[in-house]
Amino acid sequence: MPAVVEVRGVEKDYPLGKLTVRALRGVDLTIDAGEFVSIAGPSGSGKTTLLNLIGCVDVPTQGSVSVDGQATSSLDDNGLTNLRLHKLGFIFQTFNLIGVLDVFQNVEFPLLLQGGMDKAARRARVEAIVDAVGLTPQLRQRPNELSGGQRQRVAIARALVTGPRIVLADEPTANLDSQTGANIIDLMKELNAKDGTTFIFSTHDAEVMRHANRVIRLADGLIVDDGRGAPRAEVPAPASPA
Amino acid sequence: MGGVAQLRLMVVLGLRSLWTHKVKTLTVGSLLFFGTFLVVVGTALLDSIESSMARSITASLAGHIQLYDADAKDPLALFGSGFMGSDDIGEIPDFAPVKAAVSAVPNVAAVVPMGIGMATISTPVELDQVFLSLREAVRDKDQARIDALAKRTRAIATDLVTEYANRAKISTDTERIAKAQADLARVLSDAFWKELEDSPELSIQFLDSHIAPLASDGRLVYLRYLGTDLDAFTRDFDRFQIVEGEEVPSGHRGMLLSKTFYEKQLKHAVARSLDRIRDKRVQGTTIAGDALLRTIARELPKQYQRITYQLDPADAGTLEGQLRELLPQVEGGLPELVQAFLAVDDANFDARYAAFYELIAPHIKLYEARPGDVITLRAFTKGGYLKSVNVRVFGVFRFSGLETSDMAGAQNLVDMMTFRELYGQMTPDKRAELADIKAKVGIEDIDRASAEDALFGGGALVEEHQDDEAGFDEFRGVDLAGQVERLREEAAAPFDQTAVDNGLALNAAVLLKDPERLDESLAAIREALDAAHLRVQATDWQSASGMVGQFITVVRLVLYIAIFIIFLVALVIINNSMIIATMERVAEIGTMRAIGARRRFVLVMFLFETGVLALLSGGLGGAAGIALITALGHSGISAGGVDIMVFLFSGPFLYPSAGIDQLLLGVTAIIVASLASTLYPALIATRIQPVVAMQQKE
Repeated sequence: MPAVVEVRGVEKDYPLGKLTVRALRGVDLTIDAGEFVSIAGPSGSGKTTLLNLIGCVDVPTQGSVSVDGQATSSLDDNGLTNLRLHKLGFIFQTFNLIGVLDVFQNVEFPLLLQGGMDKAARRARVEAIVDAVGLTPQLRQRPNELSGGQRQRVAIARALVTGPRIVLADEPTANLDSQTGANIIDLMKELNAKDGTTFIFSTHDAEVMRHANRVIRLADGLIVDDGRGAPRAEVPAPASPA
Repeated sequence: MGGVAQLRLMVVLGLRSLWTHKVKTLTVGSLLFFGTFLVVVGTALLDSIESSMARSITASLAGHIQLYDADAKDPLALFGSGFMGSDDIGEIPDFAPVKAAVSAVPNVAAVVPMGIGMATISTPVELDQVFLSLREAVRDKDQARIDALAKRTRAIATDLVTEYANRAKISTDTERIAKAQADLARVLSDAFWKELEDSPELSIQFLDSHIAPLASDGRLVYLRYLGTDLDAFTRDFDRFQIVEGEEVPSGHRGMLLSKTFYEKQLKHAVARSLDRIRDKRVQGTTIAGDALLRTIARELPKQYQRITYQLDPADAGTLEGQLRELLPQVEGGLPELVQAFLAVDDANFDARYAAFYELIAPHIKLYEARPGDVITLRAFTKGGYLKSVNVRVFGVFRFSGLETSDMAGAQNLVDMMTFRELYGQMTPDKRAELADIKAKVGIEDIDRASAEDALFGGGALVEEHQDDEAGFDEFRGVDLAGQVERLREEAAAPFDQTAVDNGLALNAAVLLKDPERLDESLAAIREALDAAHLRVQATDWQSASGMVGQFITVVRLVLYIAIFIIFLVALVIINNSMIIATMERVAEIGTMRAIGARRRFVLVMFLFETGVLALLSGGLGGAAGIALITALGHSGISAGGVDIMVFLFSGPFLYPSAGIDQLLLGVTAIIVASLASTLYPALIATRIQPVVAMQQKE
């Protein structure tokens, strides 16, 4: 399988007052197409930072990240935006649906941003994906009329509607009860199996991790286990929380 | 991005977030509503006033464009510059070439010469008139009339005796009163009237010099006149209409009195007071309820002499009978009856008013001058000496729609010849006469260099003159009677259009065929004047009319400043509430950015949202404004009888209208302002990083 994500020697520093927080301290990682990967680690280990860099919403201080063969550091804001729009899908911990739009419109949103699809095709695509996440009866409901699990399903549908190479999910089950969380992970896995879309999700929930084909473990800004064999590095003493 | 679908998304996003943030929407929406309402109502009213005022000014005096001396010291201000003193607007020495040059401009319908001046006419005291009649009767040896007038004089003197007896009680100037009483006693004696038969001149002189001053003073009436080509004026100013008498016949000298001047200055004082009360009562004011009317009513009976002194004995008898019938309870003679009659209140006013015009008015001189009369205008010429010119009044005119406006009726019209004479310009006849006099007296034109020689050297300039024994007679050799006759002939002599055009004017009104093309025509006229090398400037009616014309500009400025301030406040409020809205929507915008929305999308989304709100509230506000103006257009806005308002409204009511122009202006202005105020918050929104979407934790 070809690599869709390549992370090479990535460091990420955040200024925090006079201090500099080193969120990532030299990360190398390759993720192949069609993988169902979990990034695990305690709070402050750099999970979200790594996900942000892969998701093109942030750029590394050092090193390079390439997504589907495209190096993110060479792109301007519009280039990064285009990459996100066409290659990536996002699932957020807090769902982040647009409150004023109904289920259909939320899912349709990325397609409208992309443009180039006629109304009928768009409609068919949205309805198919909403059906795939099992929300056809709620098609015209607004997010505030839905349960947490239903909202996250909408978010999944929205992330998948454009047919992205990679779907990134940051703690997708953190705001759900364990049963609903498990269902969501099952759904993601099912879609991964069906379409071969790469899923990368962060979690600190051991139960959720179990579903992943590969678990990348982070601690203090370093990969301690890339899920493909021996751990990469010994974990030094914690410096400061991220 | 692109396409109908995106637009639909914008509409849905825009409308739904407007709905979601109701308080913000309501606040901003009300501001936008009010702002547009104000713009539409304000500009519609101003536009309506401007066009009605334009009608007033252009129709009554100014025409569309005014021409005057390019080297004038002061700017032309037809309705007064608002400063004391009279303006020096220079003069157009020869009107004919100006008329020729300007008339050649295609859009020009007429060029009317003008010149404004101020003259006085004095109105004689009632007693003066009696004595004047007496003098005529004596001259004509009309004994019956002499007897009648003697009786009237004695009646008046009797009244004056009573009056002076009263004055003696309160006045400290006993000497003067004693003298007056002695004079009155003499007039009442039979001996005096015996003397009148023997030496009428002396007796009448005594009446003129001793008795006439005892009665109340005569009035000096100031009369503003506009010298013009009367044929052209009456033809081209289409609101002009004759209400009494007739137009001045073509090619003749004459005067037309303005109806306003006629009613307010020339009418009999008692009639004027009664008219004034009537006018106010028609508007719903009562005498009891209005301090001014109470004063007028209180003063009325004191003016009885203005009536009684004007009555012929025969008329006096008739009137006394009629008034006694009307007021049987009143004791005393005619003076008491008239006084009682003039004591008006709210209960009896209407009946008294009608009775005044039915019983009294026909016997008195209701107007100082009426069509058919010859009046003497006295004015200071340009050179500074006092000039008197007799002119016949042919009619009374007004401008339709401006009947109640004093400003429109401020000018009386006089022919160009009379104007030039009052202005002090020499007519060709006068110039010839002067040359003739110079030749006869032997005046030589001497230049400055040779003046000394002429004065002190050379031959004997002074000729010894042997006077005859009658002594020096300044009038010897002067044919006074012939002079008077010649002047009369000159005044009566008809003149033609050439004479009107060939000569001086102070300014000229240009009337356009299509007033809409004013600016273009103004430029063309200026060009034509330049091409003809005439030192004449052209200006539009608005600036030519002085303060009045500027009034609308000032009001417009005030309105615009008010609108500007309201917009500024709105701008700040919209700006603030949009920034707050942006802060509230950081997560939403971050999410949109994360899932692929570009910065431009966010910017357009914000502007679109405000634009939609501005369009909706602005549209509603504008519609409400148009509804209000339309309602006012039907009911009319009263000028409240205030002169300047009547003039501005071009009538007693303004019927404003609003059209698509004002609506477009209002809505466009509000959209531009609200977009401008959204720009900054929208730019802030575009800087929201997509990473914030990831940082959302509950």
